[in-house]
Amino acid sequence: MRYGMVIDLKRCIGCTGCSVVCKAENATPPGVLWLRVIKHESGKYPQVRRISIPLQCMHCAEPPCLEVCPTGATFQHPNGIVDIDADKCVGCRYCMMACPYDQRFFNAEMRYYFQEHPTPFEQVGYQRHQEGVVSKCNFCLPRLERGLEPACVANCMTKARTFGDLDNPLSEVSKLVRDRGGYQLYPELGTNPSIYYLPP
Amino acid sequence: MAANLAQEDRWIPTTCGVCYSVCALQVHRVNGTVVKIEGNPDSATNRGRLCPRGVSGIMTLYDPNRVNVPLKRTNPEKGLNTDPGWVQITWEEALDTIAARLSKIRREDPRKLLLTGTVTTQDEVPFAKIFAMTFGTPNGWNSGAGNHCGTAEHLFGALLHASWSKLPDPDHCRYLLNFGTGTGSGSYYCVTGMAQRIAEARVRGMKHVAIDPFLGPGAEKADEWIPIRPGTDGAFALAMLNVLLNELSIYDGDYLKHHTNAPYLIGDDGLYIRDAKQQLPLIWDPVDAGEKPFSDPTIKDFALEGEYRVNGLRARPAFTILREHLKPFTPEWAEPITTVPAATIRRIANEFGQEARIGSTIVLEGKVLPYRPVAVMYFKGAQGHKNALLSSMALELLTEVVGASNVPGGLLGMNSCSLGYPETGQLKWTPKADRDGLMVTGRWPNPSPPYPPREVKGAETIDLRGMIPTCPGSSGALPVVMADPERFKVPYKIEMNLHVGSNYVMTFANPKAIEEAFRNVFQVSFALFLDESTYLSDIVLPAASYLERLSHTADWISSNSPVGEWCYHVRQPVVGQIAERRSACDVLLELVERLGMREEFYNFVNLMLEVKAPYALETDSRYSWEEIVDRRYKSLFGAERGLEWFKEHGLVKWPKKVEEVYWKPFSHTRVPLYFEWFKPLGEKVRAMSEKLGIELDTSAFQPLPEWRPCLSYKENSQDHSLYAIYYKIPMQTFSGTYNNPWLDEVSKIDRFAYGVAINTETARQRGIREGDWIEIKSSPTGNTIRGQAALTEGIHPEVVAIAGCGGHWSKYLSVANQDGKGLCFEWLMPVGLDNVDIPSLTQDQCVRVTVSKAGAQP
Repeated sequence: MRYGMVIDLKRCIGCTGCSVVCKAENATPPGVLWLRVIKHESGKYPQVRRISIPLQCMHCAEPPCLEVCPTGATFQHPNGIVDIDADKCVGCRYCMMACPYDQRFFNAEMRYYFQEHPTPFEQVGYQRHQEGVVSKCNFCLPRLERGLEPACVANCMTKARTFGDLDNPLSEVSKLVRDRGGYQLYPELGTNPSIYYLPP
Repeated sequence: MAANLAQEDRWIPTTCGVCYSVCALQVHRVNGTVVKIEGNPDSATNRGRLCPRGVSGIMTLYDPNRVNVPLKRTNPEKGLNTDPGWVQITWEEALDTIAARLSKIRREDPRKLLLTGTVTTQDEVPFAKIFAMTFGTPNGWNSGAGNHCGTAEHLFGALLHASWSKLPDPDHCRYLLNFGTGTGSGSYYCVTGMAQRIAEARVRGMKHVAIDPFLGPGAEKADEWIPIRPGTDGAFALAMLNVLLNELSIYDGDYLKHHTNAPYLIGDDGLYIRDAKQQLPLIWDPVDAGEKPFSDPTIKDFALEGEYRVNGLRARPAFTILREHLKPFTPEWAEPITTVPAATIRRIANEFGQEARIGSTIVLEGKVLPYRPVAVMYFKGAQGHKNALLSSMALELLTEVVGASNVPGGLLGMNSCSLGYPETGQLKWTPKADRDGLMVTGRWPNPSPPYPPREVKGAETIDLRGMIPTCPGSSGALPVVMADPERFKVPYKIEMNLHVGSNYVMTFANPKAIEEAFRNVFQVSFALFLDESTYLSDIVLPAASYLERLSHTADWISSNSPVGEWCYHVRQPVVGQIAERRSACDVLLELVERLGMREEFYNFVNLMLEVKAPYALETDSRYSWEEIVDRRYKSLFGAERGLEWFKEHGLVKWPKKVEEVYWKPFSHTRVPLYFEWFKPLGEKVRAMSEKLGIELDTSAFQPLPEWRPCLSYKENSQDHSLYAIYYKIPMQTFSGTYNNPWLDEVSKIDRFAYGVAINTETARQRGIREGDWIEIKSSPTGNTIRGQAALTEGIHPEVVAIAGCGGHWSKYLSVANQDGKGLCFEWLMPVGLDNVDIPSLTQDQCVRVTVSKAGAQP
């Protein structure tokens, strides 16, 4: 069992719905974006291509962030999800330097979107987060435990995201990777990410 | 009580109101707090998914900048930057003041009242329109949204598709030509459902060609991007038409003969030749070698080509005239106008024509239907110009000549035909033919559709719509006429503006000119925020947002998906009342009572909202807003499906039939290929304008398309000036979402969302580097706006492109008013009839600017 995700760049329109639904689901504070969409442009006018690439924790099979963590706060679940135990994190941020995908975030101190006016949503939601620790995407583990897909998968309005077991050759994710030429980011680093992209 | 609250964990079905797509929501509320907004998987509209704006609504609901209490201004001085000096008042005081003003105006001349709104308040504005209608004013304005979307496009929606808007058939289309729209990419109608469906189409291999000055969100998803000079899409389309009809002879003769006026005989005066007896348009039957009324049952065939003599006069089928008319518009003619190589235009015309597969059929639900898997989409980008009518006409005819209109694979009217809710037979409409055989819409969001044309009247309205019946909705002339009614012989001035959710100061054109038109008007605003337009308000009422109010009119003809299922929803409050916020509909009902206009109002409600016996409102009773909603639901969906049922279930849906989705082959209506009636209508408009002494260029009222330059095109470009345009992005709706911090956060990551897209080489010539602050100075208005350069190869070298409508300055928008939060394009765009397409009253949205590197950030 190894959870993984396939992101179909042919379907993705770069709307950032995944970024925002991640904020809503996980109530991440200002500046903490577990999921971002970047644009990549290639070619010369008028032969130009611009694509959107959603980025989040790659849940690497060989996570460089785990090796450098001095306290054991970063750990890997048996299902492959790379997670952080906030109670053990001391905020040293070695993991942020180690992550080749730049997908870890440090919440120095709790801030609110409207400064001194925390919204009722933030008052409730931010109880899940600690100050002075690093956080990142956990494939919406609490949702998985309730039998739901990660929020970014469930909400994507182009159905660009598919979630499942990469170890099972019959799963939808394995099939898509096989049939549509799925690829990982920076495979040469040997991190073996659990997120695959399908070509645009 | 506390124990009960602690256990609360509810999902509440409702609808989104952040744009005009009306996606279905389920809102998660825990202990009274909204913790998540999700798409409602039961709904056919968005099928359980949401765009970023839909998800972000929580942060607007709880934004501390929201207006919570009624306010009145204390500073008599009005200005775009002048603090109104707001003080809190009671609802009672506010309503007393408003009712007194309204009573006085209604006694004197009710036309002095203006209603302004927008399309995102799709539930409140239609109700406010009924209020205005009862009150006795014809004056309404959907400001920005109305003019920046479709104007002329909606006109042709009515004339050619019996609908307000249209979309490609996502299930069968194989070749989509997209002129300046974000269809499938996070804007345009049915945004979420279509994003999903068009993504499926991409995966199954639909080719998508985007013709756009900027490689924006729509073009990014295309297989091919063809950069084009702004405002020249009509020239591209004309050249394509010419290639199709005169070089390749690709057209759907069968379709043209039976579903258009292509065979109607036209005389040398440009008008139909009619039979003497019944005055019906004539066609030529080549088998019987004679003319016959178009509806004659003995017709054996319709001539599309040739020259005949009828009653001694030369008579030619409209199709022949169109073909002749197109001959000068070669790809070589279009190349220097559009900057698109002639060979590219020829290739696209050929691909489009081949892929139309004329003659092929498809079997759906046992019915054999024409299969024409090509569609041409266009919207603000292509049509928001001085040449709106004639460019739109050319773009529309591409779909018509290949017969891809409302058939499988083609372009579908957004809900032109509804056979009704099966249980009650309500919500039933179908396009019908008039005496000339031409199609009349079955349903239209405004009191009367553009065809048949209304009588040309004098200056009854404050926006020239009374004189120009081809304007389908909101008029780009309003601020011009409002600023100087005497010049347009309007016998009154607007004294009061009932302002229902629209930041019109920022979303039409030059805010200074808009301020001039509105500053002397007593303005009452139902507002979520003290935005820039409320700087001109006298009273601001705290409006309930879409998550805080009840309504039943959010669904309209353009919110249902073009394919799949019909779906009608409830919009209901997902939280208890916050502060003193109230729904505009609720407040309007109270004003109806205070003004003593209940009887007329209820009659209009019954008529416009289809509230029929036994649920029709009776004038001797007074109904609450909830009761009216309940009665409408029961009237439409039966006694069991009243408000309580909808509150629990959220929506009602049923499958669409083949005859509804692909209705054209089942319909006897014809659409114009030759817009014969435009000519005499234009003459009437000209006669009226001359009679009133108003200078008006009516020359665009003509039956066939051509291309005319916008002012920006005509301006001398030797001074190295550029074109400025704006476009829509999926993270923001018009100007209204910029204070949402989640949308702000994702917009900040996208350098185009808040910056200015400029071609790398164009920037280099000006010494501009990525991220530099640049100044964009408008040639016509002289105004300058500032933003950060976002260098890209994906933009026409003559163009700078600005996303959405940022650049807020209200001190009450703490997120949006910071530097670097986008630009307000409208500072560049002048207000004036020189920039308005007269037949559709579309405001141009492209302008010449000079661009230079700015000094240090202010």
